[in-house]
Amino acid sequence: MHFALPPRKTSQPPPYARASRSSPIRRKQLQVGGLLACAALVLIWLSTYIFSTSSEHIPSGTPEVVIVTVLDEATMSQDYRDRIIENRKYYARKQGYATFFPEVADYEIGTSPRSWAIVPALRHAMTKFPKSTFFFLLSPHSLIMNPSINLKSHVLDAKRLESLMLRDKPVVPPDSVIRTFSHLKGDKVDLILTQDNEGLAQGSFLLRRGEWAKFFLDTWFDPLYRSYNFQKAEGHALEHIVQWHPTILTKLALVPQHLINSYGVDIASRGGKEVMHKEGEFVVRLVGCELDSARYCEKEFDQYYQQWKALQNKGSI
Amino acid sequence: MSLSRSPSPRRGGGWASPGLTSPYENVSGKSSPRKTYGDIQMNGSASATGENVTWASAKARSEEINGYPSFSTRNNGFFSRHARKISTSLPTFSLGGRRDFADKEKLGRGRWPPIAGSRTVRYLQRTGRVAWRFRLRLGIVLGLLLAYILFYATPLHRVYRRTSWLGGGSKYVVILAANQGGGVMEWKGPREWAIERDSVRNKKKYAKKWGYDLEIVDMSTKKRYAHEWRESWEKVDTIRNCMRKYPQAEWFWWLDLNTFIMEPSYSLQSHIFNDLVANTYRDINVYNPLNISHPFKSPHLDAVARSPTGNGRKDSIHLVIPQDCGGFNLGSFLIHRSIWTDRLLDIWWDPVGYEQKHMEWEHKEQDAMEHLYTNQPWIRPHTAFIPQRKINSFPMGACSENGEDPKIHYSERDRDFLVNMAGCEWGRDCWGEMYNFRELSNKLNRTPWEKFKDGLSDGFRALKARFAAKKEEDEDVKS
Repeated sequence: MHFALPPRKTSQPPPYARASRSSPIRRKQLQVGGLLACAALVLIWLSTYIFSTSSEHIPSGTPEVVIVTVLDEATMSQDYRDRIIENRKYYARKQGYATFFPEVADYEIGTSPRSWAIVPALRHAMTKFPKSTFFFLLSPHSLIMNPSINLKSHVLDAKRLESLMLRDKPVVPPDSVIRTFSHLKGDKVDLILTQDNEGLAQGSFLLRRGEWAKFFLDTWFDPLYRSYNFQKAEGHALEHIVQWHPTILTKLALVPQHLINSYGVDIASRGGKEVMHKEGEFVVRLVGCELDSARYCEKEFDQYYQQWKALQNKGSI
Repeated sequence: MSLSRSPSPRRGGGWASPGLTSPYENVSGKSSPRKTYGDIQMNGSASATGENVTWASAKARSEEINGYPSFSTRNNGFFSRHARKISTSLPTFSLGGRRDFADKEKLGRGRWPPIAGSRTVRYLQRTGRVAWRFRLRLGIVLGLLLAYILFYATPLHRVYRRTSWLGGGSKYVVILAANQGGGVMEWKGPREWAIERDSVRNKKKYAKKWGYDLEIVDMSTKKRYAHEWRESWEKVDTIRNCMRKYPQAEWFWWLDLNTFIMEPSYSLQSHIFNDLVANTYRDINVYNPLNISHPFKSPHLDAVARSPTGNGRKDSIHLVIPQDCGGFNLGSFLIHRSIWTDRLLDIWWDPVGYEQKHMEWEHKEQDAMEHLYTNQPWIRPHTAFIPQRKINSFPMGACSENGEDPKIHYSERDRDFLVNMAGCEWGRDCWGEMYNFRELSNKLNRTPWEKFKDGLSDGFRALKARFAAKKEEDEDVKS
């Protein structure tokens, strides 16, 4: 029908009429809805971000490094043990690190040599200090001679480590076909080891906490290795797994021996004078004293202990 | 146009105009002007000659448009002319009679004619009307139906199932170990070939259906290994190669050759992975034929390693293995791509372990895995066990020392997914078992139409047998 004028709209719209799709009210509603949806999405994203990183969050005050030294009641006198503990604790207090002194008897190592206890001890340390980043295993027959050295700047820092790493070096000297990787980033390293003339040194090394560390320790501690009669027990087992399993080799960095593993005795087969402890170096290790019936660990220890005490009294450390 | 003479009235009415009519006849080749059926009826034989043209008939004819004059440019071609002739020569019906009168009443105009049909006609009309009213909704429904049919009739559904973010089929790889121990060590006979053919076809069909990748690996004892230390420990190498070959895949399903997928309609996702936590058990004490003490008690381990179920989350499961009556069974197991798996594959074979145990470890990787699980705490939080019949049912011949075990043996009623004829090569008939299970699977997975047909033929056969029996009986009675 056509009228001259359009019919007038009623001023009371029918109650069932809905707002037209493009009415201003509708548009406003859509805008608000869209904004709310965006805000919700952002919130969800943020919360997942926060919660996913929270597991890796390290509370302040957590010691960054834990020094692990396994003691043995059966072979060490109380006096000797006290001196060892005193030495470690002094260093840890200076640098804000933690110490952990488990006993060999705490672990079921069966009939295998007692030196195997270092492996479960490290696992134990990771359980006790679940937030600490590095674990420094130091054999009891050794002393920290220079407590002013901070491990972070000494070896652990990624950049520093990259400059120290021995690349493309035979894992077991002198001529193992397995060599350390030549392209390895400092922050991918989980195990920092040294080697002497005979092989890898398991008396002083650093291990980063993580899934890899558990895998490494559990593999190392496999009963088939313990029952295999490796000549040097856990030392040879370590050399074995490093050479046969690339997933372990990829996480390994070798550093120069004097950084964390100077020797306190002159043994020709172990490198002789060249690797002897010099003034200012971090650690002195009386390597092999517990295995050689002609040597006395406590006597050798006492010599360096007095030296350390003298330095301490002088106030130079 | 000139007329030979002036039109003159004729006796029967009308007039003769030869000058007007003759050209029509010459051009169109018609002997008489066209008449409708009605005209013939009305005018009888008189109009057949075409001479008896009345005023009324001419007017009526011009009112019903019967076509164009033949001298127009149309219908000049041979075909169109003849086609037109055919169509015009067909009789036309005007059942309502000649409507040359005015309607008396106008009430029913523009509506549906009064319903005169039977009940079915009325019913059809009503449904038609309803369909018209809901044409939009009906259209949508029909469109969806069409889309559904097209989806399954074309390879579109396979593309869908394969795409990683839709069906996710490309995340799964089936590794089938063919030719086990063959090659240098022994020659295959016709039965072995038949087993291999059936087994491979079965997996190919399954992988194609769900969009998985199938990797058939030749496990024949290769020269490369034959004189070497780690003879026939290729499982680890094979899995690692597959992981390299399919970098998009996440889960790898290892299958021995002597297996048969009984229910290809189960996808791995719906059968296992959509609810991996509920379909598996982390605590080995649920079923522990090896009597492994679990969990570790030693306090030097962390909480997750000491927990019987790891951290209990789905994303920590990287290895899913079934257990049979003798312990782990690696005839059918699932392994997930992860850093953890890389480490496991790396240490699974170790020369020191091999040297001490290779005489004792009859099942090679399987025994080594048991050893690792028992002794290395980092393995357990990432290993889950799956009830055996989920992916590895046994036939009655295997693990049968204690009779039938509902945890171990295939059940037709529960429609188990896969049968593993484990150990059939030691004194059992591999091919026979494979054949029986294949036939059973075909029977269980018939389409409804096939079931109907088989039902009919079975019924006939039964009837026939009964008749035959009766006949025999009768003959017996007679004799």
